[in-house]
Amino acid sequence: MPDGVATAAPAPIVLDAIGKRYETTSGPVQAVDSVSLTVRREEFVSLLGPSGCGKSTVLGMIGGLVTPDAGRILLDGVRCAGPSPDKVALVFQDGGLFPWRTALDNVTFGLELRGMPAARRREIARGLLEPMGLSGFESKYPRELSGGMRQRVAIARALALDTPILLMDEPFGALDEQTRLLMGEWLVGIRRRTRKTVVFVTHSLQEAIALSDRIVVMTARPGRVKDVMDVALPFPRDLNAPEVTELRAKLWEQVREESLKAMGGRP
Amino acid sequence: MKVWVWRLGIAVAALGLWEAVAAPLNPLFYVRPTALPGALVAMWQVPELPPLAEHVWLTLREIGAAYLLAVAAGLWLGFLLGLRRTVGRVYEPLLAALYAVPSVVWYPSLMLFFGLGPASKIAFGVLLGFFPIVVSVLAGIRQVPETLVTVARSMGAGPWTVFHKVMLPAMASTMVGGLRAGLALSVVGVLVGEILGSRAGVGYVINYAYGLMMTREYAVLAVLVAAGVLALDLAGALAEARVKRWAG
Repeated sequence: MPDGVATAAPAPIVLDAIGKRYETTSGPVQAVDSVSLTVRREEFVSLLGPSGCGKSTVLGMIGGLVTPDAGRILLDGVRCAGPSPDKVALVFQDGGLFPWRTALDNVTFGLELRGMPAARRREIARGLLEPMGLSGFESKYPRELSGGMRQRVAIARALALDTPILLMDEPFGALDEQTRLLMGEWLVGIRRRTRKTVVFVTHSLQEAIALSDRIVVMTARPGRVKDVMDVALPFPRDLNAPEVTELRAKLWEQVREESLKAMGGRP
Repeated sequence: MKVWVWRLGIAVAALGLWEAVAAPLNPLFYVRPTALPGALVAMWQVPELPPLAEHVWLTLREIGAAYLLAVAAGLWLGFLLGLRRTVGRVYEPLLAALYAVPSVVWYPSLMLFFGLGPASKIAFGVLLGFFPIVVSVLAGIRQVPETLVTVARSMGAGPWTVFHKVMLPAMASTMVGGLRAGLALSVVGVLVGEILGSRAGVGYVINYAYGLMMTREYAVLAVLVAAGVLALDLAGALAEARVKRWAG
């Protein structure tokens, strides 16, 4: 990072050589090793890599949930230490909905923590659930909703915080292929409306190509940045277009190499 | 609905069977259910004892005190051991070992410490009721899904908010089961305490009636206690079902 003259608007997310090592019973494990990345405003960046490559750890560090033991993280130019719920909202793989709260009360949770009056936060939550096709399900409990609906509620809960940055950790990982594709299309729409900066963790090439402006391919453990690819295709994307096929082949080659390494050279 | 009819039927059949078996036998040893109502009336005022109502009232107060203390001690120790990992790792095995000892072996020392009065009964009720509560708190804490805590933390929740908005609700169904088991055991503790050595309370009257071969009176008391415990447990079951429905 060049210091001195402050630029007009610092990048929303800057990762400067961050690393994380975990102590396990079988010795220390370097999960992430000197990852550097600058995410531009309103950009959609996907972290793609084999399982266990530290993608989620990187996301956790941006979210302030995991403390990096090397490097630094700047959010809007400010050093990040701990969660910043006014800037960053997270969506987790299994949704992480509170089973004892209705869909509506799950969405209002973050606003409740901010001390917003009940009437106002319900109004916001209804306004978010309605365009998601979830009106009529406000008073249902998570166990009464389908997987896709639960994930939409989880995303609504993150959107309710109205943060400029959205971090998503394999949000559609537990869904079937069809629902997953539809949720992707839906997310493209959401993103266009809300103009958020998004970091999206996935191990699906298809998903990364369908959604991202840039794809960061990560190496097998320790997680490093292997390659960064721009996806300069207009939305909504035709996943059968020749450019997409070509890009997928290129991505696959890289991911394949790392996945093989992660498996110890043999599938 | 149908279940209730069946249960009622089973209860009536059991009473009928009891009547049929006891009828031809020596009434001094085998009391018939039809003899119970009369015995209850006679029992209400045994000349050489204070009125039965006073004994019942004393026992209820002992149970109340024992259960309140068991809940307080159980929740306190459970959270202390569950939330402080190192403390928990040191003491949990000891607790499990203590739990395995039949608690009755402690009762003589409780009588030595607390005397023959209500205090030793309350202490025994606490001792019995407290274990399932501690165990359920520890199990409950272990069951809280990590993701839910992470979600709350990511939204800026501090330790106290995480505790009461995430952990408590996530633990509720497990904890309420322990609280219910604790209540049942507190009742057992107080009654057993009274039977083993006391000068008042329902357990004392049971022992008194038994000692004088007042079999009818003894049977009335046993049925009375059973009915009381059943009502208490039914209330507990309803509360548990409610909490479970809410906590999912």
